[in-house]
Amino acid sequence: MAGTFADIIEAARKKAAKRRLAISSVKKSDLEIISKAAKEGLIFPVLVGDGKAMETLVKKSHLASLEHEIMDVKDAGGFLRAAVALVREGRADMLMQGAEDLKSFMKAVLDANTGLLKGKLASYVSVFQLPKSDKLVLVTDTFVNNYPGVTEKQVILEQAINLAGLLGIEAPKVAVLAAIEQVNPSIPSTLDAAVLSKMGERKQFGNAIVEGPLDIDCALSHVAAARKGIKSVVTGNVDIYLVPDIESGYLLAQSLVFIGKMEMAGVLMGMTKPVILNIPFVSRGNRLVEIALASLI
Amino acid sequence: MIRSLDDVSRIAGEKGPKKLAVLAPEDEEFMLAVKRSWEAGYIEPVLIGNSEKMDELGEKVEFDISRFERIIENDRQRISDLGIGMLFSGKLSIVSKGQIPTSYVYRSIIRAEGKAASGMTVSVVSFWEIPGLGHLTAFTDTGVSITPDYRTKADILRNAVFLYHLLGYEKPRIVVISGQRKFGRTLDSYRDYKLLREAADAGEFGECEVVGATSFTEIFLGPRGRLRDYRDIDLAKIPHIILVPRLDTGNIMCKLDFFLDVTRCSIAVTSRGAVCIPSRADFSDSIITELAMGVVVADRLEKGVR
Repeated sequence: MAGTFADIIEAARKKAAKRRLAISSVKKSDLEIISKAAKEGLIFPVLVGDGKAMETLVKKSHLASLEHEIMDVKDAGGFLRAAVALVREGRADMLMQGAEDLKSFMKAVLDANTGLLKGKLASYVSVFQLPKSDKLVLVTDTFVNNYPGVTEKQVILEQAINLAGLLGIEAPKVAVLAAIEQVNPSIPSTLDAAVLSKMGERKQFGNAIVEGPLDIDCALSHVAAARKGIKSVVTGNVDIYLVPDIESGYLLAQSLVFIGKMEMAGVLMGMTKPVILNIPFVSRGNRLVEIALASLI
Repeated sequence: MIRSLDDVSRIAGEKGPKKLAVLAPEDEEFMLAVKRSWEAGYIEPVLIGNSEKMDELGEKVEFDISRFERIIENDRQRISDLGIGMLFSGKLSIVSKGQIPTSYVYRSIIRAEGKAASGMTVSVVSFWEIPGLGHLTAFTDTGVSITPDYRTKADILRNAVFLYHLLGYEKPRIVVISGQRKFGRTLDSYRDYKLLREAADAGEFGECEVVGATSFTEIFLGPRGRLRDYRDIDLAKIPHIILVPRLDTGNIMCKLDFFLDVTRCSIAVTSRGAVCIPSRADFSDSIITELAMGVVVADRLEKGVR
């Protein structure tokens, strides 16, 4: 079971075949990360864009001495489209956001016809390495869906459980977060949490143990939960935190990064092939972890 | 200016004891906090709750509660109504929630505000002391409004600014946070941020500044920044007041003290004074700090700052 980011990189390295990673509009800073990932044996980079410009860029980077491929695209407006098509058609195994703005990138990958969306929705799982312990925790959805209903939350949770499985967490303990730990019909997140918890009880999430609603103190502390009368194996030992909405998820992830100074890497789930976003609060160093994470999917 | 919770404790010791109604001190940690707050000279408790439980816990934490006013009541809502009633009638200056669900207390406050026709929007301010920061930072509203609209947010902000002025912050800096990302539709919370910023600039909340950021990323890295190294994060950039978009967000974030190296204390702002809102899961150290904050706020209110 992966307990640290180093474990994720090690697990990715052990995979038999190097994954072909497509990236368009590559920047100098991206090349550093890609070079590192290629050197670690994680990926075979495929750079999509203006061939000559990329060759010049590659010559000045460590990638020059490593295996890679440049796919020359004549239409300057079509670099991203070509990279997405490359992945969709199976000529590359994963896609990484380059210099494109987030709006264009998300539009391209989530397009129902030409993108990489597998089902009806995607979600972004933030993976945190807990300080002072060998444990990874997943927080979802921290980037994609604004106000998911219980149907969407079911899918979001399934996607996170899948990722947890890839990290070796076979029976993840899930905290479905809400403002309070009691079911209150005035607070919709508590109702969603109760429904998901019941679904978990009926094994609709496989081996996952789903508890909710839980407020964050009960989720974080077994003692705090016991003082509120909640007895559960989930409290104080959570593997997956399912947040009620984007306002909570996006801000919770950032709080842990900036105030908790916790290492974070993330990946877009629910895609036909792994997709790595360029999120500003993921440190440069942890983008390598994101590549490793994606190559496990 | 009160910069830390140490300042709060010191001032509470100087200005106390203040009469404080304790709603159901029926938990060991809570009774211990009442005992230690009384010993520190912060409070003179009025204990409202189940007689047997209070006696048992008093004995357990070696606290002779026979010397204090006691009101015997078993019904949770009635306990809350009694304590809040005493605050609104001026019999005492602070109330603290004990081992009862918070919703009971908010219900009592909202009813009391209604009767008093104060027009006050009740909200909760959860302070955080972040080590080395040099100022208190606070999330609001972390307790009452589930999905506040613009008008309610404006009231919530007004309450928090008032509280900060009371603590000696002349021009508190505010961030109106939102889940808005650089893709997808515009969220209501982002629209509200723009309106609140305009209102603050027009002086609607008194002396304060709503900063041009809606996320921690923007606060710490600017609009186009990216995190390079964790050592580059300068916590001093965190503003005084963080207005959260909804109750779920506020509650999840403010209680991260169970995980992060921060100390929390929560105060409900009412038209008649402070109501301390410790979580039922809080431990005695944390509860003592909340009671001390209640004493400081009550003292400053008595001086007629408002």
